[in-house]
Amino acid sequence: MLTGYIDGLGLVFQLGTLLAIAGGTFLGIIMGVLPGLTSAMAIALLLPVTFGMPPVMGIGMLLGTLCGAGASGSIPAILLNIPGTPSSVATTFDGFPMAQKGEAGRALGLAIVASFFGGVASMVVLSLLAPPIAEFALRFGAAEYFSLSIFGLVIIASVAGKSLLKGLIAGLIGFFCSTIGTDPIAGVDRFTFGQLSLLTGINLLPALIGLFAVSQVLKDAFEYDPSNKLQNSPHKVDIARPRFIETLRNWRALLVGIVSGSVVGPVPGAGGSIASLVAYDQARRFSKTPEKFGKGHGAGIVSVESANNALLGGALIPTLALGIPGEAATAVLLGGLMIQGVTPGPMLFESQSGIIYGIFLAYLVANFFMLIIMCLGIKLFVRVLLVPRKQLISAIIVFCFIGVYGVDGDVFNLYIMLAFGLLGYFLNRYGFGTAPVILGLILGPIAESNLRRGLQTFGGDWTPFFTRPISVTFLVIACGLLALTLWQNYRTRQQDAAPDAA
Amino acid sequence: MAKDIGKPIFDLFLVVASAIGFYMATTLPAVSMAGGLSPASFPKLISGLIFVCAVPCLIRDSYEWLAARRVREGVTALNATAPKKGILQWLTIVALIIVYINSFERLGYIASTAIFCFLNVVCLVITSGEFQKLSNSRKLRNLAAYTVFAFTLSLVIYYVFTELFNIPLPD
Amino acid sequence: MKKLALSLSVATAMMASAGAFAEYPEQNIDMIVPFSAGGGNDTFVRALQPLLEEKLDTNLVIRNISGGGGAVGLTRAQASDSDGYTLAAASNALLTLEALGNVDFTYEDFDFVAKILEEPYVIAVGEDSEYADLDAMVEAAKEGTSVQVGVSGVGSSAHIAAVAFADTAEVDFNFIPYPGGSETISAAMGGHVDAVVLGGAELRSALESGRLKALGMSYAERSESLPDVPTFQEEGYNLSLTVWRGIAGPDGLPEEAKEAWVNAIKEIVDEGSFEETASNLGLDIVPLYGDELEAFIAESAEVMKDSAGDLAAK
Repeated sequence: MLTGYIDGLGLVFQLGTLLAIAGGTFLGIIMGVLPGLTSAMAIALLLPVTFGMPPVMGIGMLLGTLCGAGASGSIPAILLNIPGTPSSVATTFDGFPMAQKGEAGRALGLAIVASFFGGVASMVVLSLLAPPIAEFALRFGAAEYFSLSIFGLVIIASVAGKSLLKGLIAGLIGFFCSTIGTDPIAGVDRFTFGQLSLLTGINLLPALIGLFAVSQVLKDAFEYDPSNKLQNSPHKVDIARPRFIETLRNWRALLVGIVSGSVVGPVPGAGGSIASLVAYDQARRFSKTPEKFGKGHGAGIVSVESANNALLGGALIPTLALGIPGEAATAVLLGGLMIQGVTPGPMLFESQSGIIYGIFLAYLVANFFMLIIMCLGIKLFVRVLLVPRKQLISAIIVFCFIGVYGVDGDVFNLYIMLAFGLLGYFLNRYGFGTAPVILGLILGPIAESNLRRGLQTFGGDWTPFFTRPISVTFLVIACGLLALTLWQNYRTRQQDAAPDAA
Repeated sequence: MAKDIGKPIFDLFLVVASAIGFYMATTLPAVSMAGGLSPASFPKLISGLIFVCAVPCLIRDSYEWLAARRVREGVTALNATAPKKGILQWLTIVALIIVYINSFERLGYIASTAIFCFLNVVCLVITSGEFQKLSNSRKLRNLAAYTVFAFTLSLVIYYVFTELFNIPLPD
Repeated sequence: MKKLALSLSVATAMMASAGAFAEYPEQNIDMIVPFSAGGGNDTFVRALQPLLEEKLDTNLVIRNISGGGGAVGLTRAQASDSDGYTLAAASNALLTLEALGNVDFTYEDFDFVAKILEEPYVIAVGEDSEYADLDAMVEAAKEGTSVQVGVSGVGSSAHIAAVAFADTAEVDFNFIPYPGGSETISAAMGGHVDAVVLGGAELRSALESGRLKALGMSYAERSESLPDVPTFQEEGYNLSLTVWRGIAGPDGLPEEAKEAWVNAIKEIVDEGSFEETASNLGLDIVPLYGDELEAFIAESAEVMKDSAGDLAAK
């Protein structure tokens, strides 16, 4: 093992390889900042460039892209309340309120350092525990996925605003929208109205950009008032610096984020999108001051961002150990690995070639580059807020168009984006919230298709959902959390009511 | 805007939309499958749940709105102008986005984007009343600045994306 | 990045001294990939992109127009001008979409330029499976056991191929559709389904690591990439099918454009510069052009249509 790392060191610490990793990280950061342009897209664009490179160099470049994009998604989420990917949705909960208080620099500083720790920790987990974790992920069948999605749906209660009922409605709207398209089991078209683009359902990205970015722009346009020179509260550029000590002081949230990212991240297909939301939910539960969450609390940002980069390492586990990519970005990465002649699987970890250690080290180096580039850029990012509102509104819409059109080249998705923008605007305005809609869109299909797939597999029998050990564990935890939330809600309402009466 | 008439109207919209959704779900082809769940089961269940949740919201919000109206009947006239301006700004930007989507492939990226950016900024300053307060020479100078902004943004983005990142955009 | 690639390709093109082309191409060529960046179709085109750019001496602009399982992009490609400057990455999806009746076009609305790559459909089972060969699996299904066969996507070409196999063997399998290839493979590895039907490339790493074992594959003859796997025909099931990937354009492409493309692809195949990439991806280079290609497409379309009809009837 030690010799493996020494061989790996030799592969990574070459000028060309380091430059490739740095370049990949830089491109990833740029792509991650732009809403809609995903790390999958960035990696696909880089693929042809890596063909001619030696394996560790090419793969290092792609890993750098993954790492950079994972971290920089926090920038628009914090500054403009616009998450570029589903996994940075939770960053907006505390990041944007903190930015509105004029502390955008502090929020970014926390996010960068938390991302770094999350990434490094997940690399350690990846290198030590990848094969057993991958085996565990294989035990997820239809019943387990169904129960996991039910567990995830309980988070709606946590991300809902004041009214639990309205949050639930928002989640159900997302769930309903997810049933549009070809039915996943029987192959029947549902609510497609003859639209070819709807055959595969509503794409997550246009919906996400609509719900968050477009709805925010509509709100800004509504509230645009030239007499108020500082639309944002005064923002201090000088406080923008990486926050190592403050991040470590939130060690509880950091730990929760890393564990959630590493445990939920490896579950193929479901983990990536919900790991950061799970982390936020858990960090709030473990916190001594849960009432501060959602109002610009540092622990909220730390938990989400550390989970966000930890899940990248998590997602690499099944990709490298089994050759099963969890989502689009790792799927493209897998293509890159195979073109390089590196076949993922258990043998990769046992082989003496040093390539696997080179990959670990390259990922570690990518995290350092990410930290350095983001720290250098942090003062620049904050200046986005100095752009006058009217120009910023136009620019955001322009970037949303690029994000949606660039990935699919389908104008229909721009209409989807606008429709969700309008929906999101009203949902926000009338207290429903938009985050539950995204949860419904992501988890809805997992719940429905796996319930029906399970019934198909078990020959119409419902009992395995309640008798398989992992499945029943998730269901019990979900019920417990739901009961806890309802009780806490009841308590806070009583506490709120008491001073009002007095 | 705490007690906004839009609130009960949006609830009503949800009630009606979920009812329509439920009706449409019943028209889906019934494929009987193992366990008794057909493609229509989930859409029916979810639209039904939305309906059940939205009705109490509608009742509560309508009640609150009526109560608030009784209290603030005299006061609201004063604040009426500010939201009206906001609605105009809001409608303009929605209309401009629709125009932008329609012209995106027809006019090509550079032209459609530049036109959108220019019109968006101009419409915002005009509808918000900011523009009318300026002197004539300032008006011209600002218009020139908006034009430069619009063209620079669309040109820079176009070349960065098509040449540097290899992401094709409509010509 | 692109500049670098461009100058490299220009330099190599000059060295290759293969400049005796007709006027085509005079401008950049749009290549529509009807799937999002990173899919199997996309990887194949992007892997070929630098080689094709060098041979054709122009830029290939890859446009990912995804949606509707390929329907949106292919419809767009079919409706574009047939001047040879808009082509599409074509695959079995083109035929399955038609067979399932989701689109307005038929395969006759396309002009097929070349088929480049092939992979077989493979039936594979978990490493501890009770089924040692195809016969055992078919026997079990005949005796009334519910044999669960995972496929990637309802109505996908793998799904249709699986139905075609079941028809040939005259049995009923319990088909379990998964959203994609990786979910299907992990279900088989975890023992949640008895068998899977997937393209050989997707299964490659799972087969190499021994986590899954292949019972049979759909080529007419054994393949170099999977030498130990018997064909369906060897096992007594009269069915041969392939997953193919190639280039197509709207009907009525100019002859000189087709010729330029065929020449470019022939050169790439002869040089062997693409061989290693293809075999790393688990694909076989089996080029086909002209009349033979047309006959091949017509034949595949027929098989797809028959099996898709059965799929819809179930």
